[in-house]
Amino acid sequence: MTRLFRIPLPHLPSSLAMRTAGVYTAGALFSLGFFVFLDAAVFSRVANGASTVHVTFVDWIPLICSVLGMLVINSIEKARLSADNYSYSGSGVAWKARLVLFMGFALIAGGLAGSDTVLVLKYVVPGHPWPTMWFGVANAIANALVMLSCCVLWVSQNIEDSAYAYNLSL
Amino acid sequence: MAGLKTIIVLSFILAIGFLLVILSSALFGNYFPLLVVATFVIAPLPNAICSRCANPDDFIEEGSSSGFVDLGRFFTGFLVVMGIALPIMFAHCGIIQVPAMIMSIIGGLLIYGTIISFTMFFQESEDF
Repeated sequence: MTRLFRIPLPHLPSSLAMRTAGVYTAGALFSLGFFVFLDAAVFSRVANGASTVHVTFVDWIPLICSVLGMLVINSIEKARLSADNYSYSGSGVAWKARLVLFMGFALIAGGLAGSDTVLVLKYVVPGHPWPTMWFGVANAIANALVMLSCCVLWVSQNIEDSAYAYNLSL
Repeated sequence: MAGLKTIIVLSFILAIGFLLVILSSALFGNYFPLLVVATFVIAPLPNAICSRCANPDDFIEEGSSSGFVDLGRFFTGFLVVMGIALPIMFAHCGIIQVPAMIMSIIGGLLIYGTIISFTMFFQESEDF
């Protein structure tokens, strides 16, 4: 595959152990993000004190978007994306696969942007004190961790064993 | 058998792990930490189920890299971090106390470690 960038990208180690470590790390990051947000939700229910600001359904929407995007992105079979070989039913599948991949990216980026929007509009602009501000910050951290988990999962699933493939394509 | 002493040590560690978890819930009268040990016991299950379903007999020695096996590994990683993050979340919200959180995390990790060690030992003895 010809190079895309002027500066060559660093080659990831192509070993099977890195691949399994990457999948475990992706699961760990996803769980960390989910539980950071769940901590904010439970805190707002249980230990909120005298504050009237709670974690409502609006706070859940960005996380739902991010998780859906991650599902969409990682369900695509990556061989469909390249239209080089006509053995995969010609060129009709490649643009559909790329469209689905774009929708997945849009969902996950929308989730991240939505969580930052909720943080700014609901928590920063009214100027709440610290324990209440944690709800918005936790939402943003959770969406960023889900996006990072999706990236790690995508990259680690692309690591082929070096005996069977010659290079790593993103 | 080289494994007998190891099995005794592992069972001892498992017993200490269970003791820590039971103490963490009984000393404070709050039984939420038992959820943590349930998570750590369930954690090896997705890995085992998916690797058993994906290749019932070995057709490729190392290349069992199907999506199913990866899904099982993803869920195992999810459950292990859930076992650590869940008590931290409970303690942060005041549902359990901080000593209970520390004891249940350590106990849960010991239990999970012995389950993994037992699995590795049984796989090694099947080579003969």
